[in-house]
Amino acid sequence: MAEYELRFSPASQSDTGAFKLLELPPDLCKLIEASVASLDKPPQFTIKGAPEDDAVLCTADKTYTIRSVVLSNSVCVVTPDPAVSHVENDEPEPVEEVFIRDQLNEVIELVPSVPRLYKLKLLLRGQEYDEGHEDEDMVSDDDDDTTSRRQRFKYDDARAMIQASDAELDKGLRDRRVLMLNGELRPIALSHLTTILELLLTNLVSLSLSHTAAPILTLTSSLEDEHDIKRDVSRQVMSWFGRFDEDAGTWEMDVNAVIREVGLGILRAYRNEPTPEKAFLGEWRKAVGDTFEEHVSLPLLAGNYLTSPDTLADPPTSLLTYFPSSELPAEPGARFVELFIARPRWKIEEIAPFLADVAVDAKERDKLLLKHARTVTDPDGIWYTARAKYTG
Amino acid sequence: MLIPINIDLPGPSTPRRPNLPPQLIQFGTDELILIELQGSLEVEGNRDGQLVGKLRVDAVTKPTLVIGHHLLEGKMVSLNKPLAVLHRHDARASHDGADEDASMDVDGPLKGGEAKSWDMIAIVKRKMVFSKRPMPIASSTKGITTPLSRIGSKT
Repeated sequence: MAEYELRFSPASQSDTGAFKLLELPPDLCKLIEASVASLDKPPQFTIKGAPEDDAVLCTADKTYTIRSVVLSNSVCVVTPDPAVSHVENDEPEPVEEVFIRDQLNEVIELVPSVPRLYKLKLLLRGQEYDEGHEDEDMVSDDDDDTTSRRQRFKYDDARAMIQASDAELDKGLRDRRVLMLNGELRPIALSHLTTILELLLTNLVSLSLSHTAAPILTLTSSLEDEHDIKRDVSRQVMSWFGRFDEDAGTWEMDVNAVIREVGLGILRAYRNEPTPEKAFLGEWRKAVGDTFEEHVSLPLLAGNYLTSPDTLADPPTSLLTYFPSSELPAEPGARFVELFIARPRWKIEEIAPFLADVAVDAKERDKLLLKHARTVTDPDGIWYTARAKYTG
Repeated sequence: MLIPINIDLPGPSTPRRPNLPPQLIQFGTDELILIELQGSLEVEGNRDGQLVGKLRVDAVTKPTLVIGHHLLEGKMVSLNKPLAVLHRHDARASHDGADEDASMDVDGPLKGGEAKSWDMIAIVKRKMVFSKRPMPIASSTKGITTPLSRIGSKT
């Protein structure tokens, strides 16, 4: 039989509002407990957001949306005397009083979420890096005849402003083909990117280098000497499209990624006018060269094109149009509107690539489909169509 | 805006902080328990250090809380998802050794929204819940409290 006095904190003023309860998803809890047990450096969590954003919590590599759940009961945080900060010996005096530090009515919930990278597009506008423009750091303002240094967006600015974990931010920058030059973020002009990739492919062949272990210096020097492409730039491009073996100084090319990007470069011309699939594949193979043409395949470009039947041709062929998911709205409702404008109905395998960057996994994706689309089954299979139709 | 959350859980390398008594530790962690009440404690005047009531633990299934003339019976509940308890960093600094922070500039109390960082001081997987209605009690002259409903019964 043990009896204690329950008291309010001796410093109620400073304790009230100084506590919060955070519900931990199982994977986070395991992460934290493992680090405590192993004496490793503890994981760093950061809450990020501008005052007008919904807050997120980021670990080193994951982002969680923060939600507040209001409780009907109140929860008291109870501890021993807060004025005693640590004990000297192993035989502390028996505790007779415990203290309520704070009474809480809400719990903070964490929901796994996709990283919020869409702001990057806005923030990086006008910061492109293209050939021949490398030295353009001054902007002239015609209104008042002054020249000022162009405002560059730094990597550190991105870390502070983008609601994503560091690992997700880095991946996002790589996926969006953003160069980091002197700590500044410069998205590479896509035409320039295709040029560099095509040069890498031709150099691999002309210098008889293996694409699984090409000496980095040989390639970057060749591109710099023959084509004026800065080494830092070509090295970063290579890092996006392959892996480095730093010890051996070689680059293992990610063949599919390179082939894909070259294909995208060609496809971009067909945004408004579709091209027959066969002709496009031919163009693509030619650009890539015989060594690599066997890797050319349409599924590499999933999420960037729409097919439509050319009913006038005999036999009917397939036409391709450039339709990049990167240019669709980030907000799921708006995205579905755009998708249904493009096509009134979709099969799951057609629509899935266009939802990949708004749904964190297949379960989320199915939830979105449930919310924003209607299912129609016919002898051909299951189709997804728009929900509300206001005709007429 | 970036608000860091530092993990400051008890471990082999952290200085030993005072522990709760053993009977209470089973309801939470060594250093902290959560007590859930229906409704909330309303206080008037300065509450610093004031007595709320007497907490008794006869068995892990029978914690009781006597607040004034009310007897509350509670139980231990396991949480579905562990709860981390966060403590605002500046409020903490004012407890642990005020002299180190003499150089810190404090312009009046900081609002919750302006906290620079928070420390995760505990992860709890259980809580003590008092969800039954409080029973009115009368104190006998010997200072032993008996619930009114039980006066005259054999227990």
